[in-house]
Amino acid sequence: MTMTWTDWQAIAVPLVLALGAITVLLADALWRTGSKQVRHTVITLITGAAILFGLAFIAVQRNSVKPAFCRPAVEGPAQCSLVFEPLTVGLWAVLLIGGLGVVGLSAYRLLDVDIPVGEYHFLLLSALTGATVLAGARDLATVVIALEVVSLPSFAMVALRRDRRGSEGALKAFLVSVLSTAVMLFGISYLYGVTGSLYLQTIVTRLPAIDPDLRRVAFAAGLFVIVGFGFKIAAVPFHGWLPDTYAGAPVEVAAFLAVVSKSAGVGGLLVLVTFGVAPSGSSLRTVVCILAALTMTVGNLAALRQAEAVRLLAWSSIGQVGFLLAPLAVGDAQAAVGYLAAYVVVTLGAFGAVAVVQRHRPAGLLTDYRGMVRSEPGLGVALVFFLVVLAGLPPGLAGLFTKFAAFQAVLDAHIGWLAAVMAVNVMIGLAVYLRWIAELFRLPADDPFSVDIENPAVAVISTCAGAAVVLSILPSTLFALVT
Amino acid sequence: MSWLLIALLAVPALTAALLWALPAGTGERVAAIVGSVISGLVLIGSGVLWWKLVRPDGPSVLTAGDLPRTLPGKVHGYAETDVSWIPSLDVRFHLGIDTISMPLIALTALLVFLCCLYSLRITPRAGRMRSLIALLLVIETGVIGTFSALDLVLFFLFFEVVLIPMWLVIDIWGDDHDRAGRRRAATTFVLMTVLGSALMLLGFLLVHRLTGSFDIEYLSSHPWRSSGGTGLKAALLIAVGLAVKMPLWPLHIWLPDAHAKAPTVGSVLLAGVLLKLGSYGMIRILLPVLPGDSATIAPYLGGLSTVAIIAGSLACLAQTDVKRLIAYSSVGHMGFIGLGIATMSPEGLTGALFANIAHGIITGLLFFLAGAIKDRHDTSDLRAIGRALYARLPRIGGLLTFACLASLGLPGLAGFWGEMLVLLGAYHPGNLLPRTTFLVFMVVAGIGTVLTAAYFLRLVRNLCQGDPAEYPAAAFAVDLSRIELIAWAPLIVLTVFLGLWPWFLLQYWTFL
Repeated sequence: MTMTWTDWQAIAVPLVLALGAITVLLADALWRTGSKQVRHTVITLITGAAILFGLAFIAVQRNSVKPAFCRPAVEGPAQCSLVFEPLTVGLWAVLLIGGLGVVGLSAYRLLDVDIPVGEYHFLLLSALTGATVLAGARDLATVVIALEVVSLPSFAMVALRRDRRGSEGALKAFLVSVLSTAVMLFGISYLYGVTGSLYLQTIVTRLPAIDPDLRRVAFAAGLFVIVGFGFKIAAVPFHGWLPDTYAGAPVEVAAFLAVVSKSAGVGGLLVLVTFGVAPSGSSLRTVVCILAALTMTVGNLAALRQAEAVRLLAWSSIGQVGFLLAPLAVGDAQAAVGYLAAYVVVTLGAFGAVAVVQRHRPAGLLTDYRGMVRSEPGLGVALVFFLVVLAGLPPGLAGLFTKFAAFQAVLDAHIGWLAAVMAVNVMIGLAVYLRWIAELFRLPADDPFSVDIENPAVAVISTCAGAAVVLSILPSTLFALVT
Repeated sequence: MSWLLIALLAVPALTAALLWALPAGTGERVAAIVGSVISGLVLIGSGVLWWKLVRPDGPSVLTAGDLPRTLPGKVHGYAETDVSWIPSLDVRFHLGIDTISMPLIALTALLVFLCCLYSLRITPRAGRMRSLIALLLVIETGVIGTFSALDLVLFFLFFEVVLIPMWLVIDIWGDDHDRAGRRRAATTFVLMTVLGSALMLLGFLLVHRLTGSFDIEYLSSHPWRSSGGTGLKAALLIAVGLAVKMPLWPLHIWLPDAHAKAPTVGSVLLAGVLLKLGSYGMIRILLPVLPGDSATIAPYLGGLSTVAIIAGSLACLAQTDVKRLIAYSSVGHMGFIGLGIATMSPEGLTGALFANIAHGIITGLLFFLAGAIKDRHDTSDLRAIGRALYARLPRIGGLLTFACLASLGLPGLAGFWGEMLVLLGAYHPGNLLPRTTFLVFMVVAGIGTVLTAAYFLRLVRNLCQGDPAEYPAAAFAVDLSRIELIAWAPLIVLTVFLGLWPWFLLQYWTFL
């Protein structure tokens, strides 16, 4: 099979990311002269350049459609493995912005000194490569491979600090991930057996017409694939690994998991649900609805009881993904990607703020944040704003309108019970974030938090806050990501 | 575009931002002054807007007979701003006022101004005046925004703007003696309201699915006339959401604690304006947009309102805390407003609108007085305060009696007309409604007025009267201070004025 120019264009971004990954690894391994600061900065810049190339590429090409690695099908249009189209553009934008934010949070003096810089950025870029491929993948083999390319570097990143908690978290995530891949492969094999194809496009045309006896097999197969993804995005009841993994990982890596890894999983599931295994009207969509309801409720309820900032963010990210699964379940890509984008921006900011505080107060308790609005106004106000966006209340209109779009998608699909569950979860979610906001607004304790915040952290947090403000004033940008 | 209306919204919010941007020391010192000046300007602005709306050659619908009696709550917009905001969600930034919303906007501006004025001298023990004043101004933006929103989503948005600031006001500046209690009260308030507004949003989305529009002005001239099905679900969801805010029995459980634990200015705004968001929403959205389904649920609404009148009054009779007592009296009064709305008749709606304003003024005054009594005795427990207020604090005791009489509906004071019109409305309910049911409601609500008189007179008796020898005056208990007189005088004057000349407001609502 020869590669056409379109193929090259469609994989340009993952390719550049992969090349960047190898470059930083080699640079770190071979270039031993120079101070640590210079090496760290150069590696950050290379990583950032690779990601910025991706962002520039999608900015230029956002309106084009490039089906790549196609082959003519027996019936219907050609089958393609990777498609660059508006949905891909939206997902890539979210993934790359998330990746860039994590790179910013991992700048010199921010990243833990025990973490090897080259490996860290290599793993980050590798995972981003996998994530971008996953968002464009249109056949099941590519989906599985891309998902593994996202997952494997993630465990390594969790364990990079090489302490007990990190290893435990990484091992948990690894075991769960292996299990979920096995489950997914099992489902895919059945799906192939039933439909005779791995291409999503062919599967979706053949599924309605299959032998009625095979219906249940096809349902089970789709269920296994969704359950596999459920592990990756930590949908309840497959979420057990997530809080320990987040808490064990360095904060930057937790941010990476919450932002890039999670978005990749959601993106993959979105592609699968909208294009493949669960076409509109399929009972698998009901399964995703039930997953959504469970995930948001359990995530938010558990978040209510957390006393540590990272664990609270971990559980609330489960709740957020539950909310995100609702528009996903009804196949509303626009609402889902908009939600994801708002979530990524403010989660990055919140983890950035947590990272600043945890560097000085390693316990990471919510009470460490007491009085921060007064003692450290910039950081305190930004954090309050991020939390308000996550809760979806004014002034965090970015969060409010993405929740609004999710409600609209669910109601338009006539799933009233899910909308009611979502309404209750808006309340529980608010209770979660209010606990934290209350600490921030209290009078400062005896020893209020006030430090010189490192410049890169200031830059990342204020960029996130600025972006969140802009998205709150012009929420339509969020929904313009997927047209 | 109407810059005046936009300025009424933007100026308080920007001032709040400015106050927070000031250095803490300066901010604390100038906060109340800046707040008073700005909220005074907003009050003047709303007065100008009111005049522009009702001036003889103006745009408003003034006299009976000019227009046929149309749908209740229909928008006759003025000072409109209508720009597209989020096209993909069909959300517009559409503001406008009419004679239904204008008095409420003016009431909000007045009460916030008086609260800022009051804060010039009298501050909660927690201090932090800069943040308190800034939050009051944010609340002002949210409330005026809700009253002037002509897009359902914008209405929802401004409705929610108020929540976090109010939560902070109760949580930070609330009752000093009961830290856990004020936190619980604040959280119950915010969570119940958020759940209610989320349900209301679901209702709005269902309306959009039925009619394809969020625009209140369009919807009130093209209402969803058929009843049952999705429309009924929408009406129920909207009614429940607004009923939490109003609050309607049995959704009122957040109210007594929130009002009792909030600082004085918080209680005044909660009772004076925040509750009106619910009743205003019912008149503005529920009745005109979904008339058929509103008629289906109106008897239930009326029934629950009647229960609220009785239950609120009975609860008042059992209270031993003066702030809780006034809070429960709000449940009863809002019950009257709910009953007026449920009658869907011109008299009932006019009565509800009038009672809205009257309740805002009188209960605002009552909470100011309760706050003053609480500050002087460091408790709001009736038994601890003791009796014989007439002897110890004659002016405050006298004003309290005046406000109680106004609140129980003494003819000649503002509280009378609204409730009378509501009862009249229940006597002639709208065409679609079962008359017998509403007659029963009328009788029961009439008994409620008697109970209201009973508990207010009991309050006056237990607090103001008594032998001064048994309850000696505390040394620090000074009578009415000058700032209190200045801050309360407008409320007292308005209570008498609206009582003697109700037509001043009623003339604007003859088109209902």
